[in-house]
Amino acid sequence: MIDNGLLVQMLLGALLGLSVYLPLAAGQLSLATPAFYAVGGTLAALLSTRWSVLGATAAGGFPVLSLLLELVLGGALAGTLALLVGRLVLRLRGIYLAIATIALVEIVRVAILNLPFTGGAIGIFSIPQPFTDASGYLLTALILLVLTGWICQRLDTMPLGRAMAAIRDDELAAGCMGIDTTRVKLTAFVLSAVVAGTSGALAAHFLNTWNARQGSFDVSITTLAFVILGGSRAWLGPVVGGLLLTALPELLRPVGDVRLVLFGLVIVLGPVLAPRGLVSPELLERLGRWGSPTREQKP
Amino acid sequence: MIEALLQTLLNGAASGGVYALVALGYTLVFSVLGVINFAQGALFSLGGYLTYLLMGGRIGVNGALPGWGLPAGLPFWLALLLAAAGSGLVALLVERVAFAPLRRRGAEPLLALITSLGAGVVLVNLLQILMGAEGYAFPQESGALAGLPEVLMIGGARIRTIQLLLLLVCSAAVVGLSLWLERSRGGQALRAVAEDATTAQLLGINSDAMVRLAFVLSGALAGLGGSLIGMSVSLPGPYFGIGYGLKGLAVLVLGGLGSVPGAIAGGLLMGLAEALVPAEASGWRDALAFAILFAVLLLRPSGLLGRRTVDKV
Amino acid sequence: MSTALLEVRDLSCRFGGLMALDGVSFSVASGEIFGLIGPNGAGKTTLFNLVSGLTPPSSGSVIWRGAAITDLPPHRRNRLGLARTFQNLRLFDDLSVLDNLLVALERHSRSSSVDGLLCTARHRQAERQRREAAWQLLEELGLSALADRQAGTLAYGDRRRLEMARALGTDPALLLLDEPAAGLNPAEKEGLCALIQELRQRHRLTVMIIEHHVPLLMRLCDRMAVLDFGVRIALGSPNVVRRDPRVIAAYLGGDASGETP
Repeated sequence: MIDNGLLVQMLLGALLGLSVYLPLAAGQLSLATPAFYAVGGTLAALLSTRWSVLGATAAGGFPVLSLLLELVLGGALAGTLALLVGRLVLRLRGIYLAIATIALVEIVRVAILNLPFTGGAIGIFSIPQPFTDASGYLLTALILLVLTGWICQRLDTMPLGRAMAAIRDDELAAGCMGIDTTRVKLTAFVLSAVVAGTSGALAAHFLNTWNARQGSFDVSITTLAFVILGGSRAWLGPVVGGLLLTALPELLRPVGDVRLVLFGLVIVLGPVLAPRGLVSPELLERLGRWGSPTREQKP
Repeated sequence: MIEALLQTLLNGAASGGVYALVALGYTLVFSVLGVINFAQGALFSLGGYLTYLLMGGRIGVNGALPGWGLPAGLPFWLALLLAAAGSGLVALLVERVAFAPLRRRGAEPLLALITSLGAGVVLVNLLQILMGAEGYAFPQESGALAGLPEVLMIGGARIRTIQLLLLLVCSAAVVGLSLWLERSRGGQALRAVAEDATTAQLLGINSDAMVRLAFVLSGALAGLGGSLIGMSVSLPGPYFGIGYGLKGLAVLVLGGLGSVPGAIAGGLLMGLAEALVPAEASGWRDALAFAILFAVLLLRPSGLLGRRTVDKV
Repeated sequence: MSTALLEVRDLSCRFGGLMALDGVSFSVASGEIFGLIGPNGAGKTTLFNLVSGLTPPSSGSVIWRGAAITDLPPHRRNRLGLARTFQNLRLFDDLSVLDNLLVALERHSRSSSVDGLLCTARHRQAERQRREAAWQLLEELGLSALADRQAGTLAYGDRRRLEMARALGTDPALLLLDEPAAGLNPAEKEGLCALIQELRQRHRLTVMIIEHHVPLLMRLCDRMAVLDFGVRIALGSPNVVRRDPRVIAAYLGGDASGETP
């Protein structure tokens, strides 16, 4: 059943969907979200356990303020990594970019697995809790999602967002119209990383344990499915995709391993049967309010 | 000293051979379609499990039919061939389901990456449902080493026979494939389609048939690789093929997308590089392939032997 | 009187074994309409690609207002005042007509991303200014009625005009038009001629045009350069060029003007 705990996971799914969406909105298929998610989560796990500097109590509690600080730091670290790597990686196009981001995920995963202080295969456990029950996490995740969604919504009516859409449509022409394509793509990439890193920091506390498997290629696939199902043309799409596809396996839990098969089927059949996803521009047109261009009036 | 080096080189060459098989599979499909078949890793796993079952292996307690197995097992080499063929057929199914519909619609090539990824996920998880997630060791009685000693002494070095066999089989497959591409009508037709599908069509070559052939061959290669690994090590779980699939990508980029000799050279290089990682750092071995991939993409994206492409304005 | 706005100096471009351009030099003066003609494959679009920064030259330089810009990427050249259209049209098909222009008009008004995110007064004012400028261009090019249509759904003639409007949106000093008359009927070609002259006047433009339909350029251009197999074989006013024997020969023995002089 859908309890608070599941709701938190759904919101985290929606956030990760947005993380995949942002570079895609600028025409870049990046599968690197799990790497940044892992970085954020690992930092939060370390700051609250091994490198106990933020006031974890003996009873396993944790100040909420420290959690918020960790969210900021997790996002910042992920964003910095994206800034460093992005400059190099975003020179690549299409399939090469996708493969480079897969390589990044694997390198980060193996690094976390082998670094002496990250707990190896078992990872870090007994991560202290800032909240006594899931409702605190629910509120935090909701705020994060609203914040991210608001940024995405603002992008639609900003030069930066339009530039992203132009690059997605025709990168070459966009450059000739004066758009610094490298800078725009990098911005989208860094934003994506910040969202993923922040989500990871929250997830580490929520899940109570954290290990290298949180940032594996599997996560690349599932988060990509969120965007495929939900639709990549409007930010609401990945949110819907993330919410649904996170809830579905839990609701289908009795069916067991078949849920992963269903995931796969979504990814195989999605692009064929519903190329624009659930939240398509046509649907948005009919709903009228968000996303697509509204009826323009002469000023 | 020399023995250790020889052992390392042989191990490197053997695993390099398997990487080359995976990379060749990618190359075949990429050269005719310009897309990467992300289900390749899943086909690798499939081949291993098919061989296991054909050899009379039993399904474990976590599988769908615990304890089930064929009434009689086939000898390894026969099972290997049949399993490779089986993988090839499943690859054909993947082509029909994940690639053909997109091609018909003239969709963006990147979408095929996504659908084939999905196909791979479905395949691996079906395997998991059927066989369970536990490890399987191949039955040894009808194994590859039937009659042969497990260890050979070559110049004072102890070599595992299975490694040598692995290397031989990979070499045979690679050489066979290269010769077939070079000399045979079918191979030349496939290369024609890879070069220029429209012209090939005008010359009467059925490019759709060539695409299907490319998929069957690449599936067979993957299945072969998975079986060899299963034989020489074990089947650690259905997901093991995914790891090989990803490393195969690294080899593909290293060698140059679309280049057959590149895939072979890249595979060997990758295998040797990994083998040279000292035992203390063995946990990092998996990252080496991707670090190399990263470096190649940044320094020379066309790889060792790939072709440079120019943007048409 | 008029200074050289653009100069190409000894420009060469090699593709594999082929010299697409071989040591081409000429300059374009501020305010003039400059034509670039030549048979198919002569290297005209390649020249545009070199000038706009999409392709690096094998040798030679591109000089803008006296300074070399050969190493600058396309977006920097556009910011300096160089805009272009494409032979095969490269509109942002998924965006609306208005959005196509708004993208080009990004630099028309100052507002930062922070302003945008917080929806400050400055952002709203800047957006208003951009929209006004966009509507002005739409009116000028006769596209007002199509503002919220998706660019990919427009008729061919409208798409051509949108591409021009978009290039104008970047406030260029030099406008490169690559075969703007392709696919237009004679009446439309006349209209295009008049439009280019109007635009030159109103926006104080310098224009460089590649065109296959030579008579059009003969009427429109102040000066022309003729390319053949990547080499410049003639340069001068239309009258001079039309009579040049090398030009006539390059067009397979026909009179270069295509009509009786």
